[in-house]
Amino acid sequence: MDKIYINPLPVRIWHWTNAFGFILLIATGLQLRYLDVIQVMPFQTAVQAHNFVGFVLIANFFLWLGFYLFTDKIKVYHPELSPAKYFMASFRQARFYGYGIFKGEPNPHHASAYRKFNALQSMTYQIIMMLVVPIQFFTGLLLWDVARFSSMVEMFGGVRVVDTVHVIFFIFFTGFIFIHPYLASLSHTPWAHFKAMITGYEEVEDE
Amino acid sequence: MSALHKVLVVDDDPVVGKSFSRVLGQKGYVVVTAGNAREALSKVQEGEYDVVFTDIKMPGMSGIELAERLKIERPWTPVVIVTGFGSTANQERARAAGVSSFLEKPLSPEMIEYSVLKALLDAVPAVLPGLAEAVNPEPVEQQNSVNPEPAKQQSNLKKVMLFAAAPFIGLAFIITLPFVGLATLAWLGTQSLFGKASTK
Repeated sequence: MDKIYINPLPVRIWHWTNAFGFILLIATGLQLRYLDVIQVMPFQTAVQAHNFVGFVLIANFFLWLGFYLFTDKIKVYHPELSPAKYFMASFRQARFYGYGIFKGEPNPHHASAYRKFNALQSMTYQIIMMLVVPIQFFTGLLLWDVARFSSMVEMFGGVRVVDTVHVIFFIFFTGFIFIHPYLASLSHTPWAHFKAMITGYEEVEDE
Repeated sequence: MSALHKVLVVDDDPVVGKSFSRVLGQKGYVVVTAGNAREALSKVQEGEYDVVFTDIKMPGMSGIELAERLKIERPWTPVVIVTGFGSTANQERARAAGVSSFLEKPLSPEMIEYSVLKALLDAVPAVLPGLAEAVNPEPVEQQNSVNPEPAKQQSNLKKVMLFAAAPFIGLAFIITLPFVGLATLAWLGTQSLFGKASTK
């Protein structure tokens, strides 16, 4: 079985910092939201931890952004411009996840250094990394110091609107944190993708 | 480059052939496509090609086997391997077969054009040593030395623009995906019903 270098070191550092950071944000976020139900830590500690991890993850996001903007790996996040090609690849991949995988069929997507995502992953990650994550960080920043950003908060419709957007994406990320490891286990062995995100090398079947 | 150069593109995905036709057609090349290695071999028997681009994974004979066959039958024809899956084992086999270069998808128009130029210029000394230098002393560098910096900047700007546009294009695709899926299912269902009706 061949190995290809698919996850460079900055991507691996960003990924695992993000993973643990998001778990902490979800945990402290739950504590902040459901103070009357969960009493794992004092409210003030949850606020401070949530803010601190939030800023760490904002810095981490810029590490990710800088890496992709200043290397040729930017192609990984380039969109597919041919609708026919995209829809065909998406249906093939959806068919694999919904049917082929249970029949032991090979994954129709072959990863390479510049095409590590399949059609479905590609579009999902483009939206998550360049739209959902920045919006979540931005709304988090506004809620961190509402008084300082009051004019901007008002511009977006008030605290209630900003908070609702932040909570909707919080629910999305909570779901993502469960779905992501499940999808990551759907390789030729359950641990192959996890190993690739530790060593950088993905095992691929030869053509 | 001359307007009479013929390029054969071998790939079971017709989109690849179309991409080559679109990029090279504008530059005056004649692009012929083949869906598999057998078809490519028969086309090569029928006419001479200046360069052959082939995918690796195809039904029947693989691109590497095709390259090996071409290197035996027409050693002067440059063969470029194009694949979405560039494993080191495949690269070694391709090099052993004597291919000119090994390109990883996705290919940009610049990569397609540059690889054709490179393959053609590399092929000249193999046939007529010394001719390449006489015709064009610094072939590849000269192509790039016209105004390399603005071209590079434009290319980088394009990459960043594509990166920035990606989530919005992604959103448009994701929103339309269920409708395209349902329309495809309806079309397939209609085809199936009409097909059955016509056989009865």
